[in-house]
Amino acid sequence: MHNVASIEIEQDIIQANDKLAYDNRTKFDEKGVFAVDLVGAVGSGKTSLLEKLIDEMDDDIGVIAGDILSKFDAKRIEDKNVPVKGLNTGKECHLDAHLIEHALPDVPLDDISILFIENVGNLICPADFNLGAHVRTVIISVTEGDDTAEKHPMIFKGADMAIVNKVDLADAVGADADKMVKDIKTINPDIPVVKCSLKTGEGVQEIIDLYKKFQEQ
Amino acid sequence: MHELSMANSMVEAILDTAKKNDAIKINEAVFEVGELTMLNPEQLRFMMDVLREGTIFEDAKIIINMIPTKIECESCGFTGSIETDENTDHLMTVATCPECKNTRVHILQGQECNIKTIKIEKDDENA
Repeated sequence: MHNVASIEIEQDIIQANDKLAYDNRTKFDEKGVFAVDLVGAVGSGKTSLLEKLIDEMDDDIGVIAGDILSKFDAKRIEDKNVPVKGLNTGKECHLDAHLIEHALPDVPLDDISILFIENVGNLICPADFNLGAHVRTVIISVTEGDDTAEKHPMIFKGADMAIVNKVDLADAVGADADKMVKDIKTINPDIPVVKCSLKTGEGVQEIIDLYKKFQEQ
Repeated sequence: MHELSMANSMVEAILDTAKKNDAIKINEAVFEVGELTMLNPEQLRFMMDVLREGTIFEDAKIIINMIPTKIECESCGFTGSIETDENTDHLMTVATCPECKNTRVHILQGQECNIKTIKIEKDDENA
């Protein structure tokens, strides 16, 4: 005869991540580092945007490049001569606060003013995981289809700014970039949205200005 | 695989609690998963089944209760459930107040991933 007991656990796995994210944020604030979580699908232009920002911004930039297995993205950033920590998730489709916590000792926080965290290419799973960054930027491209925003509302609901990328290709792929902006604004009315082409340079200065504005807040 | 990392955290937390309470077997575990989390309960269940094999959690009954979405409208103050429309993705409705159609709405409920309770068995000596 065994005794049976009921035990209240009341443990929220998402809140547990939020607690670690708060610790990361504290660390960024202590070091005076402005942290950006950059999320977007595979091929949306995350790494290309970072390359452009490294070239164009005056700040000392550091990067955590999340990837499932490869080091391709980290290598591209490395070629720009900024500190980069490649972070392989192995099998996971998103970064979480715990992974960032473990990557931070390898990031020279004393020497940088902005840390870009390039999330794993995905618009779904990262929505549940706060990393502790000050700003979450979502980048989508017209080549993903102009219904991308309305199909992934949660990632936009939790974001602070959004970029609609590759607008120079909109006509070629039959996509309406303005519709994408409108959809994002419906989901999150207060979010700044920038139409951008990394090829022509359209929107890049606007993105830099937005980061400056966020940084001053 | 998103569900795998969540299931892993859940199984770990449950086995940890069971161990601390000197359990020899876990009979039941109750979870709450918000409708708005990017988690599929069936996949979550499948992943937990894989992870709990060979543990004292192996034969436990798993109950997953879905938590409905609740929003609060910044404009008219409406608090309650969202309206789902068959023609759009159900998640898209988090963006609109069903009363005044304003899109400035806050999510109050529906983003949880909670381990509520477990039922365990103990030896008489440890009871």
